[in-house]
Amino acid sequence: MSTDLLNTLVTGAIWRAEQLEEQGVGSVPLAWAEVSSLEEKLATALPASQPEGRIARRGAVRAALRAGNFSRAQALTERFLAEKEATQTLRAALRQLLEEDASALAGRFHHATKTVNEARSLARWLQEGGAFGLAA
Amino acid sequence: MEIDLSDLREMHPRLPEDLALVMIGRAALSLQSNGHASPVDIRLDVDGTVTHGGLTWPSSDSDFLEQHDSKRLTEDGAEAIALALSYQARGWRVVRRMQQGESADWLLEGPSKGTRQRIALEVSGVARGSITSRLTEKLAQVTKSEDVDEQWAGIVGFEEPVTALRSSKVVRP
Repeated sequence: MSTDLLNTLVTGAIWRAEQLEEQGVGSVPLAWAEVSSLEEKLATALPASQPEGRIARRGAVRAALRAGNFSRAQALTERFLAEKEATQTLRAALRQLLEEDASALAGRFHHATKTVNEARSLARWLQEGGAFGLAA
Repeated sequence: MEIDLSDLREMHPRLPEDLALVMIGRAALSLQSNGHASPVDIRLDVDGTVTHGGLTWPSSDSDFLEQHDSKRLTEDGAEAIALALSYQARGWRVVRRMQQGESADWLLEGPSKGTRQRIALEVSGVARGSITSRLTEKLAQVTKSEDVDEQWAGIVGFEEPVTALRSSKVVRP
């Protein structure tokens, strides 16, 4: 798929997700998951040394968080941080996205912060290792 | 300068067709609900240089006004007009939409001295009243956008048709 087509698709996907979010429609996380997937494809096509590549990497992580998929956001972040071409600014921005999401969640569920962190660790463990850790 | 919103898709080939049609329809409804009919005179402010031009659009049935959220009507309508002016005044084309958090709505590209420039454009619409304070607000916002060569804000007023396209004057190396 060409980057031109991916740019057109991600434009439409972001616009749809924004419209659904403003109307409070229940399928909003699915819309942002679609955005994250398209941003990831753009990130694969465009190196982190290019400005559009950096925009796509931030977009993939940001949309995953908006989809409520923290483990995907974390996995994408770790992948992008491991890239040799990733600039210090991009690395800082990606870490900041995760930190801001964690802070927002802690603010909303003040007494459940520890539980939320444990649930996220468990989700990550399951994603990496599969059920019962058999794939680890 | 004459701006015909019917040509929006030709100006910006990467804009999805369905999105372009909705944006044009919402621009039409925003203008018509302010008592304007196509074509209308519009004040054009491109980085402080003010001229007057004509704005043409395919009419939209105002009976369907209630199908649209009023905020989206103004914002999406403004995007159609600001993007059309960006192309006609500067030759900029849409690369992609940006997510909230990138401090701009659109990533555009355009030639400048033989090189490809990346432009962040933040757009907003004002249904009634002056666009001055909104322009200041959006210029402050777009200066935070990263990985671009230029940062611009585009504000559209629908009561007395006006479009301002202003640069933050911050040019990154």
